[in-house]
Amino acid sequence: MTAGAPRSWGLVAPALLLLVVGLVCPLVYLARESLHPFVDGRALPTGWTVTNYAELLRPAYAFYFFDTLRFGLVVSALALALGTPLAWIAARTARSALRRAILGLLIGLLFTNLVARLYAILVTYGTTGPFSGFARLFGLSAASPGFAAILVGIGLLHFVLPVAALTLIGTFQNLNPRLEEAASSLGAPRWRVALGILLPLAAPGLISAFLITFAMCISNFVVPLLLGRGVVLFTTNLMYVRITEIANYPSGAAIGIIMLVLVFAIVYGLSALARRLLPGEATS
Amino acid sequence: MRLALLADDAAVWSSRLLAVAVVLFLVVPIAICVVLSFDARDYLGGFPPTAWSLRWYRAFFDNPSYLDGLVVSLKLAVLATLIAVIAGTAAALFLARSRFPGRAALETVFLMPKFIPTVVIGFSLLGFTAAVGIRDAFTRLLIGHAVIVLPFTIRAALASLVGIRPSLVEAAVSLGASERRALLDIVVPLARTGIAAGAVMAFVLSFDEVAVSLFLSDPFTQTLPVVLIAEMRANLNLTIAAVSASFLVLTGTVLLLLDRTLGLDRVIGQGIYRT
Repeated sequence: MTAGAPRSWGLVAPALLLLVVGLVCPLVYLARESLHPFVDGRALPTGWTVTNYAELLRPAYAFYFFDTLRFGLVVSALALALGTPLAWIAARTARSALRRAILGLLIGLLFTNLVARLYAILVTYGTTGPFSGFARLFGLSAASPGFAAILVGIGLLHFVLPVAALTLIGTFQNLNPRLEEAASSLGAPRWRVALGILLPLAAPGLISAFLITFAMCISNFVVPLLLGRGVVLFTTNLMYVRITEIANYPSGAAIGIIMLVLVFAIVYGLSALARRLLPGEATS
Repeated sequence: MRLALLADDAAVWSSRLLAVAVVLFLVVPIAICVVLSFDARDYLGGFPPTAWSLRWYRAFFDNPSYLDGLVVSLKLAVLATLIAVIAGTAAALFLARSRFPGRAALETVFLMPKFIPTVVIGFSLLGFTAAVGIRDAFTRLLIGHAVIVLPFTIRAALASLVGIRPSLVEAAVSLGASERRALLDIVVPLARTGIAAGAVMAFVLSFDEVAVSLFLSDPFTQTLPVVLIAEMRANLNLTIAAVSASFLVLTGTVLLLLDRTLGLDRVIGQGIYRT
C-alpha cells in the first residue's frame, strides 16, 4: 500500500456486502435454478439437467431471440443516425443557451418515467391520437396488430435516443475543430471533411454509442409489455411469461442466464474488440 | 464550385431540419399527454380536447392505489438512496485513494449492476430472497433498488474525489486527526456536490424503476410505476395522463437540482476543446 492509502478495507465492506447479497448470490442462485429440471406444481427440484437450455434452441423459442436482436439492431442504427445531427449541434454551437437547452432536454428525458413516456406515445400514435394517421404510412391501421411492432420501435427509439445523443455529444466535443478548419482551408469540400476526417476520428464513439443503445434495447422489458399488445414479445417478456403464467422457474432462469451472457458479451466483449480494431481513443 | 457550395448548404440545412424533427419526436408526445390530462371529457377522445378540467388530477389523488404506490415509491427511493450514497461514497473514498493491482477490476465490479438487465436482477432476487426466507416485499424491493442505484452514487462520488489532493488528508493526520476524522471532515465536504448529484440521480432512478419492482412487488406493496402499468394494461383512462404529467414535476426538480449542483454542462463534461 502507498502512503495515502486507507488503512482498512472497511470502507468497501458495505458496498461489497450489498453487491454480494443483492447481486452475486441471486445470480448464482439463478444459474443453479436454470440447471434443475422443471417439475409441474413446484415440487422441490431434484437432479441436474441442461434441457432448459436445449429447449431454447428450438425454432419456436429461437425466434424470440432473433426478433429481439432484430429490433435492437434497427432501433440502435436509427438512434445513431437521428441522434448525430442534434449531438453535433450541441457539441459545436457557439450559443451556450442552445447547448444548455439540448442538454436539458436530453437529460430531462433520461430522468422522466419510462411508463409515462410510453403512455404519451400510446395516446399520440394510438387509435384516438392526433398522429394515428402515422400507421397509414406503413399501410396499416392504428388498431392493427402489425402496428404494434411499429409502436414498439417508436417506444424503444424514444427510450434510447437521449442516451445515444448524450454519448455522441461526449464524442463530438472531443474532436479537435482545428482538423476540420485545416482540411477546409486546404480546399476540401464539407462531405470530404465529414467522411475522411470526422468519421474515422469519431468511429470509436459511434461504436460505443451503438453498443450501449443495442444493449439497452435487447434487455428492455417495459416497452414490448406496454406497446407490443402481446404481438411483439422480447426475450425478457418470454422470461416473464414463463415465470408468471406457467410458473416454469427453471426455464425462466435459463433465459435470464442467456440474456446476461449476451448483454455482457456485447458490453464488454465487443467494446474490447472495437478498441483493438480501432486505434486511438478508448471506446468506453 | 458553386454547385458544391450549394450542396454543402443543403447538407447543413437538412441536418438542422433533422435535429428539429428529432426534438419534436421526443417532445410532442409528452406535450400531448400533458394537454390530455386537462381534458374534461369522460373518454379518451380526439385531440385537442373540447373542454378543460382538473378532474383527472382529482381522480389521481382520490385513488388509494395510486396514493399507496406513491408512498411506497417515495419510501423506497429515500431509503435506497441513503444506503447507496453511504455505501457508495465509502467505496469511492477507498477506490480514489488506493493503488493496488486489482483496483480497476474492483471498480468494474462496482459498476456492473448498470449492465445487467433489470429483469434478470429482479427475477434472481425474487428466487434468492424466497430461498433464504425473506418474504417481506418491501425488504426485497429495497435490496434490489439499492443495488441498481449503487453504480451511480459510486461513479458520481469518484468523479468528485479525483480532484482532491491527498496532501490535505496527510496534513490533517499529521496535525493529530484520525484518518476517519480527516475523511469525514475534509474530503467528504469537498466532494459534496458530486455526492449530492449522485444522490439526485439515485433517487430518480429508484423512483422511476419498473422491471425490478414488477418482480419484487406483491399485491400489498406496489410502487407507483407498477400500479401505473397495471392500470395501463386494464384501460387507457386519462387518470394515467394526470399521473404521467405529474412525473414531469419530478423531472423538472431533478434538472434544477443537477443544474445547481454540477451544472447541466458538466453532467457530461465540457470536452477538451471548448473554452
